[in-house]
Amino acid sequence: MSEPNTDTTTRSDIDEQSDEQFRSWTESSGTGTVNIQDLRKVYGDDGDELVAVDGMDLHIEAEEFVTVLGPSGCGKSTVMECIAGYLDPTEGEVLVNDEPVEGPDPSRGVVFQENRLFPWKTISENVRFGPQMRDDVDESRVASLFDQMGLEGFEDAYPNELSGGMQQRAELARLLANDPDIMLMDEPFSGLDAMTKELMQEKLLDVWEDDDRTVLFITHDVEEAILLADRVVVMTARPGQVKDVIDVDLERPRSTDMVTTDRFNELQRRASESIHDEAERAMEQAEGRA
Amino acid sequence: MAYARRLEQSASLLAVLAIWAVATMFVGAVPSLPSPVEVAVAFVDAAASSSFWQEVGRSTFRVYLSFAIATVVAIPLGLLIGRSEVFSDLTFPALEVLRPIPPIAWYPALTIILLTPANIVRFIIFLAAFFPILLNTIEGVRGVEEEYPQAARSLGASPFQTMRHVVLPGALPSIYTGLVNAMGLAWVSLVAAELLSSSGLGYFIWNAFTAGEYPNIVVGMIAVGVLGYGSSALLRRLGARAIPWLSAANA
Repeated sequence: MSEPNTDTTTRSDIDEQSDEQFRSWTESSGTGTVNIQDLRKVYGDDGDELVAVDGMDLHIEAEEFVTVLGPSGCGKSTVMECIAGYLDPTEGEVLVNDEPVEGPDPSRGVVFQENRLFPWKTISENVRFGPQMRDDVDESRVASLFDQMGLEGFEDAYPNELSGGMQQRAELARLLANDPDIMLMDEPFSGLDAMTKELMQEKLLDVWEDDDRTVLFITHDVEEAILLADRVVVMTARPGQVKDVIDVDLERPRSTDMVTTDRFNELQRRASESIHDEAERAMEQAEGRA
Repeated sequence: MAYARRLEQSASLLAVLAIWAVATMFVGAVPSLPSPVEVAVAFVDAAASSSFWQEVGRSTFRVYLSFAIATVVAIPLGLLIGRSEVFSDLTFPALEVLRPIPPIAWYPALTIILLTPANIVRFIIFLAAFFPILLNTIEGVRGVEEEYPQAARSLGASPFQTMRHVVLPGALPSIYTGLVNAMGLAWVSLVAAELLSSSGLGYFIWNAFTAGEYPNIVVGMIAVGVLGYGSSALLRRLGARAIPWLSAANA
């Protein structure tokens, strides 16, 4: 591990140089950029094919908060699972930090609607899981996450002993303990009651405003999409692709009482109109299938 | 509450005892069947002799040793078969052909390849315990929803860590069911194998039969029953401790 001392001067010179190079490189492309190019994903084989996504293009900047709004079955989860590395694209490319995605990676954290806390581990073990796997648990960070997510006193509880909202907070804590560059969230709050949901949205905004991460957040809730996002991406009905991108120019930090402002309503109307036709099409598709 | 429960649980045992007592009270109804009293006397005699306890110790040790080896082999194998389609294709067909062969049917074959009787008994118990553990491990692994390994990988766990921290604990309830079944079958096969060999409780039973000491037959049988029951109870208790999340109260 330790290098001979004679090397140190030259080595640190080189390090400084490459550090600078690295910095300029990261500034141009950023850590946490996502680039989706002409993505196509087909399920099933010949005869019984389902084209979930076709011709999808999307670029997400580092540290950007993007929400994806789309009717059910439009392939938005498929897109996310391609970024997570759970699915391989049929055609096209998914690039993260300009590199093609190859399998899951701790720099890309994932949260789903149903919590995926490990039932056989306590909340504390769940939250520590990522760092523990690398033998690199930062105790003060874990403690502050427990505090931030209001989980103190539940360290030794098992997930099935917690309420739904608390489970989602624990899952968010587990994700953050791992310090990902990109957070991929698939309708994480849609199973929660209205009050809990609002609290979770505020927590998420706090977290995101505190430290720099890219967030891709899938939802079918127009209000939620606008409240959280820098940009709202509206997807078409299946096969999914980008229909519309709405820039949300509301000031930050955001809070849930912004939903009553005129500008918010205007954006909400625009997004609703954009998604309306697609929702209708998706419904026809669903009826056709049934 | 606990007392009433205890009473319910002993009802079936008392019923067996009652049927047995009644059957032997009418002399000649079941010729030569030793009565509970005769068996109790024989048990006191046996308990006083060191040879009885020697056989008990020998049989118990055999079961536990072979059971432990079966566990150590079957669980990792089951994890691999359950997790890897390729590994499953490569190994599972052979195992499926071997599985229906009753362990005791191996006795002659093992004799002609010149294993010692003691090793034959060990191997037969191993076989009896191996398959239920293997099959339940495979089933348990396949029952672990893919979301959990995926989540583990996204949190940075290596394939081995995913196996160790996610797949294994996820499969554990099913594995424990397999272990409890395997323990029962281990005792069943032990007695069968020992009937053909020259030591252990199976031999004790057979010896009592050939020597005409009929009460001792029943002493041996009861000993096997109690030891088998005790072993399974022990496993269940260990299982409950190893799977605390299932007993954690639903708040």
